[in-house]
Amino acid sequence: MNRWRKLLIGATPLVVMAGSAGAQGSPKTAKAPAQTAATGQSTQTPKLEVDPLWPKPMTNRWILGSVTGLNVDARDHVFVLNIPDYFTARTEIGSSTTPPTGECCSAAPAVLEYDPQGALVGHWGGPGAGYEWPTTPSGIGVDPQGNIWIGGSGGSDTRLLEFTRDGKFVMTVGKAGAPVAAAAPAAGGAPDTAYAGVSRAGGGRAAGGRGAGRGGRGRGGAPALPANSSSMDSFGGPTAMSFDAAAGEVFVADGARNRRVAVVDMKTGAIKRFWGAYGNKPDDAKPPAYSAGGTPSQQFGTPVACAQLSKDGMVYVCDRSNDRIQVFKKDGSFVKEKVIAPETLGDGSVWDVAFSRDPQQKYLYVADGMNMKIWVLDRASLDVITSFGDGGRQPGQFYAPHSVATDSKGNVLTGETYEGKRVQKFDFKGLGAVTTMNGGVLWPRAAGSKP
Amino acid sequence: MTRTKTIVRAGALVSAILMLAVGQRALDAHAHAKTLTAPRFEVDPLWPKPLPNHWVLGNVIGVGVDDRDHVFIVHRNDTFDSTTEIGAVAKPKLSECCVPAPPVLEFDPAGNLVASWGGPVAGAPYVWPSSNHGISIDNKGNVWIGGNGAGIASIGQGPDSHILKFTHDGHFLMQIGIPGQPTASNDTTHFGRVAKISFDIPANEAFVADGYGNHRVAVIDMTTGRIKRLWGAYGHVPSDSNLGPYNPDAPVAQQFRTPVHCAEPTPDGLVYVCDRPNDRIQVFRKNGTFVKEKIIKPQTKGDGSVWDIAFSKDPAQKYIFLADGKNEKIYVMDRQSLEILTSFGDGGRQPGMWFAVHSIATDSKGNIFTAETYEGKRIQKFVYKGLGTVSDSQGVVWPKR
Repeated sequence: MNRWRKLLIGATPLVVMAGSAGAQGSPKTAKAPAQTAATGQSTQTPKLEVDPLWPKPMTNRWILGSVTGLNVDARDHVFVLNIPDYFTARTEIGSSTTPPTGECCSAAPAVLEYDPQGALVGHWGGPGAGYEWPTTPSGIGVDPQGNIWIGGSGGSDTRLLEFTRDGKFVMTVGKAGAPVAAAAPAAGGAPDTAYAGVSRAGGGRAAGGRGAGRGGRGRGGAPALPANSSSMDSFGGPTAMSFDAAAGEVFVADGARNRRVAVVDMKTGAIKRFWGAYGNKPDDAKPPAYSAGGTPSQQFGTPVACAQLSKDGMVYVCDRSNDRIQVFKKDGSFVKEKVIAPETLGDGSVWDVAFSRDPQQKYLYVADGMNMKIWVLDRASLDVITSFGDGGRQPGQFYAPHSVATDSKGNVLTGETYEGKRVQKFDFKGLGAVTTMNGGVLWPRAAGSKP
Repeated sequence: MTRTKTIVRAGALVSAILMLAVGQRALDAHAHAKTLTAPRFEVDPLWPKPLPNHWVLGNVIGVGVDDRDHVFIVHRNDTFDSTTEIGAVAKPKLSECCVPAPPVLEFDPAGNLVASWGGPVAGAPYVWPSSNHGISIDNKGNVWIGGNGAGIASIGQGPDSHILKFTHDGHFLMQIGIPGQPTASNDTTHFGRVAKISFDIPANEAFVADGYGNHRVAVIDMTTGRIKRLWGAYGHVPSDSNLGPYNPDAPVAQQFRTPVHCAEPTPDGLVYVCDRPNDRIQVFRKNGTFVKEKIIKPQTKGDGSVWDIAFSKDPAQKYIFLADGKNEKIYVMDRQSLEILTSFGDGGRQPGMWFAVHSIATDSKGNIFTAETYEGKRIQKFVYKGLGTVSDSQGVVWPKR
């Protein structure tokens, strides 16, 4: 038995509840729907507990950067994409500066592979022969052969890269963008929301970094290419992807600049079709800023943050800055949508989705990096059943959960960007009745205690 | 030599039992490492309990423990990314999370938040520091806070050059030193961006690590706040001349480099001073006479290696725990010899890892509390597990599965 569980034994159930859920719930949101309106049945939800000791410490004094992608292969190995060059040079990576200023720490490689126990079993990534590594890697997918696909949200990123799982280059999908003169103003298709999957270079601090030594973060970067949402040969900052093994197709969330889902032939890399919000032809003109209660945009905002294919042939698209999931058939016909936390501004509420691992994929997990939680939805109805997590740096808390995935056992894995810089695992503990709309921080409980 | 002695002191039977407890993983990982007897710790990944109200911590730059083993922290609650981290207080509101917690938080031993206070108050008879820094609780349960800020130009507030004293629940008691004054290491009317305050209760004196502007230790009367004496490195008269950046190949500096980050008196009449960017502890008598020094990881540049120290809770205070926020370790040192016996921790965001471990304190049970600044933004507890056999480089000290 874990030691921290022993500590919890003896605490009354009331105290345990207060520590995990009650302390988080505002009166407005603490009540759970005891029954679903449709069935009258007691609502069930996956029960999850964070594993505070997963993954295991890395060697070489490596540390994670902002995590911008995370996925699980058929062996339940977890692949993590992180951005190794978004560190504060003066304070965070003293052993890899020139000259070194300390013994800790060094940036881990961009791609990290963990086994189910959390041991680091593979690491690779970065520039190499035969391909151009994205300026800002974003999104990591595992295809049906176990190969790894990587996107990029940087201003000049227009391609997907495919590697074997141990990092041997396989294929580039998409052409390089035409170079943009450094002084050129952003074109009409420039994103209305800067891609916020990574730390901004020096900007956005409330306190201006007083006393905090944040010098040296980030880099200038190339000027952003214009969006090209009708392109048949390149992408506009592809941020995530999923795979249709039977059809040999890749669904690409495209992207940081573009406002579309693009479907790619897995073998040839050819773009076969694409669509925008509601199945409309995508339009790169900048739409009005999102506002709660405003007219729903007929186009995706940027970034289009996920395009996740379910077993029953539905494509779930994260329209992040519009706070909504849109669901399509594989041919791009619009099926329905769900708005999540519509008051959310800034980066938006719908960052990534993952399916539960029961045959029906009954539940949909939605990572919300702005409200610092994971929403749990009934996939069929898209009703929000509950949520878990809160802001913070302790286990089970989040700063900007950017990516979410599930393994074959139903465990949930999350990756945090910005200064979250973590991967966390939430162990699946079976189904249980929904007791709150706001599950708070899901810490391990004493064995045998009532949830 | 000390290492050998301590090993011999531990009986063979005790050693054998403790060896079993060390764990195969640690043995595998450090097959080449030496082992020795030292205090053992395990991080408690679930301490403290989650904060209410979507509160989050900024840079945590002070931790202290009172005589009830309540843990006080002070953090900079204005060190957030305004658009991605605290959307709930943005105008307009961006999200439900998160909200900056008040600067001073008090936790009970179980990790429950039991009080929160601090920050500027309009019309208050004191100036809240522009960058609160360091928190210590005296024998009466009163809370002392320094400040290392350069001031707030927009409201005409000058540099932090004073100390504030409150009751444990945040009622103002005393302001020591004139606020808003420039660096002046030989001035006795104010301080120069104070890092931390510690107490010699029998003498009714407080030792001030002074600081981020000044290059000195200042000793004050706890009742009146009067500065009684002061000194610089090696007991010299302090000087505020610019020493430039630390260079490990240069002759040792004859003055403290800023920040002077801790000044910790012991019952046996010594004061341990953290000369942070100079990578050294200097030890003095309480009258400021230099006794000895210890260089720690002299290749460490930038913020330096000697950030804060705490003592073990045995009557002899046999061990020093030294927080190194640059190399991301806690060193366990023999206080008499100043030899490093072992170390634990590593860089990272998981339990038992740190980003910029800034402050350290111990409770009556010998548990260690650490506070992380920069983007660490955490308080962590390391549970004392008694003396045991450890490697000389332990890495992350997780509880056994």
